[in-house]
Amino acid sequence: MFAYAVRRVLQLFVVLFGLTLLMFALLKAMPGDPARIMAGLGATPESIEVIRHKLGLYDPLPVQYWRLTTGLFNGQLQAMTYHKPVWTVIVERLPATAELGVLALLLSLVVSIPAGLLSAVYRNSPLDYGVTTAALVGISIPVFWLALMLMMVFGVILRILPVSGRGATLFGWSFLTIDGLRHLIIPSVALSSVLMALNARLTRASMLEVMRQEYIDTARAKGLRERVVLIKHAFRNALAPVVTNIGLQVGTIFAGAVLTETTTAWPGIGRLVVDSILRRDQSVVFGVALFMATCYMISYLFVDLLYAYMDPRITYD
Amino acid sequence: MIKNNNALLRDYLLSLLVPGLGHIVRGWWRKGLVFWVFLAIQGGVLYAAVLRGRLAWLACSASKRPSEYWFSTILLFLFFLILWLWAFFDIRQLARVSNAETFVQGYWQIVARRFSKDAKGLVGLAIILAVCFVALFAPFLARGNSLSMDLVNFLNPPSLEHPLGLDNFGRDVMDRIIFGSRVALGIGAGATLLNMVFGGFLGLIGGYFRGVSDALIMRVLEVVNSIPFLVLVLLIVSLWEAGVVTLIIVLGIFGLQPARIIRSEVLSVREKDYILAARAVGVPTVRIIVRHVLPNAIASLLVVTTMMVGVNIIIVAGLSFLGFGVRPPMASWGAMLQQAQEFMRTAWWMAVYPGLCILFTVFGFNILGDSLRDVLDPRLK
Repeated sequence: MFAYAVRRVLQLFVVLFGLTLLMFALLKAMPGDPARIMAGLGATPESIEVIRHKLGLYDPLPVQYWRLTTGLFNGQLQAMTYHKPVWTVIVERLPATAELGVLALLLSLVVSIPAGLLSAVYRNSPLDYGVTTAALVGISIPVFWLALMLMMVFGVILRILPVSGRGATLFGWSFLTIDGLRHLIIPSVALSSVLMALNARLTRASMLEVMRQEYIDTARAKGLRERVVLIKHAFRNALAPVVTNIGLQVGTIFAGAVLTETTTAWPGIGRLVVDSILRRDQSVVFGVALFMATCYMISYLFVDLLYAYMDPRITYD
Repeated sequence: MIKNNNALLRDYLLSLLVPGLGHIVRGWWRKGLVFWVFLAIQGGVLYAAVLRGRLAWLACSASKRPSEYWFSTILLFLFFLILWLWAFFDIRQLARVSNAETFVQGYWQIVARRFSKDAKGLVGLAIILAVCFVALFAPFLARGNSLSMDLVNFLNPPSLEHPLGLDNFGRDVMDRIIFGSRVALGIGAGATLLNMVFGGFLGLIGGYFRGVSDALIMRVLEVVNSIPFLVLVLLIVSLWEAGVVTLIIVLGIFGLQPARIIRSEVLSVREKDYILAARAVGVPTVRIIVRHVLPNAIASLLVVTTMMVGVNIIIVAGLSFLGFGVRPPMASWGAMLQQAQEFMRTAWWMAVYPGLCILFTVFGFNILGDSLRDVLDPRLK
């Protein structure tokens, strides 16, 4: 187990190293002169040249790569358009995305696990058809359109929720204030739609798989009540794949956040990516991409290890 | 015997007269009605084309022949031809088989039979076919072209004249949706094709040969997968002035999800005894892969392909929505939604309908993929 964990952590670093190379290559291929962007409008050619030297754009590529990567960690790397270190820009935007993602995930679990469970237990009933159809619609719906529709219905027509923006914050978090919480509803519901659908489908499939096992028959045969069989024997075992998949959904959450945040003007990391790509702010793009990948890899690793810990039948060589 | 032959001849003639009529006379209701539905739809397209004068170019003198409608026109007549031939040959086939009701069924026959009873899959197929029809015959179905503006009546709500309203440039939303289906399906299908070829190749190589190539491919997959696909594609697409072809290539090359699935499928197949036997007899590797490994992986390949089209359509819509996809004057559903954002308070029709179309189309692909997964599962009998 320990050896496995160590190997996985090493693998994580290999992947992140590969990603920095990929990102570096992409950024170098990006059109637009970083020095010119940094100098702003109306800069003289001389000042652009100075910035170019300051950024080290004439250095050999490996040196530039090294500066970009290390600069991200020691805080030396400056965002080109924000005039602060990249790290600070990310940390400032992080709470907005974190609360959005966590709320969406919680919402999806609260709805999808019972829904998946019920639909597996009452298989082929109208309830099951309803849940599976809703889940299929959920994975087919574009999150940004759903956000747009929610904004239109609840914000513009009914006027019971704010249309966009983040609202009041306390210590940088909106879920601590009522106004912020009201602003949070539309983006998090939109974002959770995909997660809800995925998790409901997964719970249902996993539950059906478990209910086919022989120990469920055994439990029934020894006269346990159906509720005990379903909850204690089936459901607990069926939950493991669902929990594991949450780790994989961090990627889905980030991708969804890019779209929902742009739609609802939610100032998080997703919007930061789009903005900085549009502004050609290469250092922020580099930082955010690496940050997202790290989050994804760590949560994936964590859940994998948790899975191994939870289920003693699983051994890793 | 003679009587039977006469009946057959009658059915042939009826079938040539109207496709499906022979089937219905014989009592094969379902199949006959399917032919009639297709006949009605294609007839409707033809009617629309004639009504809008889209076929007038056929009657013009040869010097004026070239027309923007040639593609759809040829396709429409081809479809009619196919319908007739299909009905004719199908009735011949059925007449032969019906005498021997029980016969040995292969895997694909079982699959086809199961599929024809699966309502979910049929609905999905119907949705996809409908969208394909709209895309292929867009110039016949749309009343204007998707670009003509009406700067007096812009932002008009839905009316009899413009059922889905006008956008901020006075362009008919319905026409733009009709032409947008070409972009969505074209990029979705094109990118998926590339996905399957490229990803499938990588998965096959990795899964079959193992070793260094596998390790290398897997590391590349992990790197590409570590960052959300949308963000990666956003970055890559931003390097160029994106167009339809760029989008197809970028989505096609970096959508490596199929590689992983095919690899795991190949991994399980390659350990089977029949592969060992083929290898022992000295069958060349390429032949083993093409004849023995691929056919066994085809079931999951089909499911992944279907689902990938949906995923690609959503991603293209997302990219266009963020302003990185198809360039503005061209009609695409994602770009229409991007415009609609600005007019959310005044023109709901601009936002509602393109989104519904994305939902509808992707739903069709997902539901078909779901059904294929059930139907192709060899464990179920």
